[in-house]
Amino acid sequence: MLQSMAALQSLLIGVVLIWSARIKLLDRRAADQVGTSALGTLLGSGRAVPAYRLLGGVELVLGILLVVPPAPVAEPVAASTLAAGFVGYLWYARRAAPGSSCGCLSAKATPVTGRSIARAGGLALAGLLGAVAAGGGYWLSAVVDQPAASVALLLAEVAALVALSPEFDAAWLLPLRRLRARLTHPLRGGSGIPLLASVQQLQLSGAYRQVAALLTSDVREHWLEQPWRMVCYSARYQGRPATAIFAVPAADAAPERVRVALVDDSTGATLLSLTDPAYAS
Amino acid sequence: MAAVTGEVSWFCCGSAWGPCASTGRGACGTCTSGNFQHAWPNASAACLAITRPDTCGTSLSRRTCGFVHYTTNLCNGARVGTSIADCGPQTDLFCGERACCGSSCGTNRIIDLTPAAYSAIASLSTGLRPCSVNTV
Amino acid sequence: MANTMDRRRLLSTAVLGGAGIAGATALGSLAPEAAFAAEPVKVVPGQPDPNFAEGRVTTINGSVVLLAGSDGALYRIQVTNGTSIWKFQPTTFDRLEKGDGMYVRGVRLPDGTLAADSLWANIVNLTAHIASVGRNVLHLDHHGRRLIGHVVPGTTAAVYNGTPAISDISLLRVGGHVQIIGAWHPDTNEISIATVYAAN
Repeated sequence: MLQSMAALQSLLIGVVLIWSARIKLLDRRAADQVGTSALGTLLGSGRAVPAYRLLGGVELVLGILLVVPPAPVAEPVAASTLAAGFVGYLWYARRAAPGSSCGCLSAKATPVTGRSIARAGGLALAGLLGAVAAGGGYWLSAVVDQPAASVALLLAEVAALVALSPEFDAAWLLPLRRLRARLTHPLRGGSGIPLLASVQQLQLSGAYRQVAALLTSDVREHWLEQPWRMVCYSARYQGRPATAIFAVPAADAAPERVRVALVDDSTGATLLSLTDPAYAS
Repeated sequence: MAAVTGEVSWFCCGSAWGPCASTGRGACGTCTSGNFQHAWPNASAACLAITRPDTCGTSLSRRTCGFVHYTTNLCNGARVGTSIADCGPQTDLFCGERACCGSSCGTNRIIDLTPAAYSAIASLSTGLRPCSVNTV
Repeated sequence: MANTMDRRRLLSTAVLGGAGIAGATALGSLAPEAAFAAEPVKVVPGQPDPNFAEGRVTTINGSVVLLAGSDGALYRIQVTNGTSIWKFQPTTFDRLEKGDGMYVRGVRLPDGTLAADSLWANIVNLTAHIASVGRNVLHLDHHGRRLIGHVVPGTTAAVYNGTPAISDISLLRVGGHVQIIGAWHPDTNEISIATVYAAN
């Protein structure tokens, strides 16, 4: 039983390697992105593409050898060594080039995460199991002997690999999370007019365009004085420090009604007051 | 190059505090938050393959590390000169997005400035401004 | 407090009550070219700006903040009544704490002190994917790192594809791309979300 289950590992690893080689050898988008992947950061973008292709070639050859008979022990050993190499590379890449893409199983830029490392580790263990316990047995005979158990094991392993592959999240994990969000409404919206809406409206106004170059600070304070929201900035007018106070309609979108006054900070005198004449009170 | 209009935002780089710490020195290896620098979507072929401004209908010239662009905030006319230090922003993620001040609008993200450069022409808390980018 | 109320009343009166003055300086009397004649920013592209500082607060003494710059420099920041202070939202000087990260823009004085015009504490601007959502929480995938973004109902604003900001963030989609202006909680992977810009 253990022997035939171990023999199945060659099929699993073989298929994963061929899949991975297909991306590295045939997908132009993936090759374009190698320069910015972890490999590009570590080797330099000039050497990254040949190295990426070479790795794809090695994966393809090993993958085919694993899938087709015969099944010498050397094959899972080689696969396990390669996967262990991936673990080391990914671990190093995560430290040396954090945030860069893994370039593993998909052309989609996917950062190196703990999951990608766990996946490579899982493959290394599967290879090890194949090397130690399969005893040179071929996977096809295992499938023929115990079809149900074999298919169940392979499905479980593929599910585990998919679960550990951020590349495939969009296919199953995100829809699940979207469904949960639709059912539970965790972001039940807030109410009221956010300050940013008033600032946006202020910036759309003619009053703001007139004094924008005089402003020296970000929003200093703001308060509601119905029907207005008052927004203050620091300003400099004719060499004097001043406060620019804007009155923005709090509830309506009416940038043409925005008013501004510049008030001298030391004397409290109004230096300038701008209102669209059509709306002057 | 004629002036290009679009949206400008900011990003942190270099040794820095907070979630910025992982950004590093940028694609050119020179990026520092306190310097007048910027990220450009077409800093190299590999960079363009990520940012893809063409998918939003924006064509930007290839300009490499150290090239100087001048960015004008269309809200207040303030202008800053910065040199390329990184690849970005990822224009294609926000295709069609528009920021306006008065009647001046910019569509699509075309440039990211360092905090030092952005704060010289706008407030960091605004995050996004309409801009025009020129080479002189 | 009474002082604040008096000042606010003075400012409100200036902007709302000064009808006479408004008539004299209605829109258009301040020529746009005069308004736009701001001092051009004179820093060599690629070089550091002496009027800008970045780092983490080591000491707050009176109205002076000492910053340890990420590049090893030390900055002395003078905060005044005219300084705008942002920490998740416009706030006051007493809310600043040791350990806060900050960006400061101001005017460099001859003694090396930076007189602050604007100060932004713990501000971050990041693009990320929404990996999942919880009760008033966004789990964000920020270049392969997980960040927890706290939504503060009533303060957090959402901008959907360039439309005016609203408080309703329920339209955010799991898996969607977002840009977030937020306040970092020092030495954690958590932020409070001030504004979230969502692509369609």
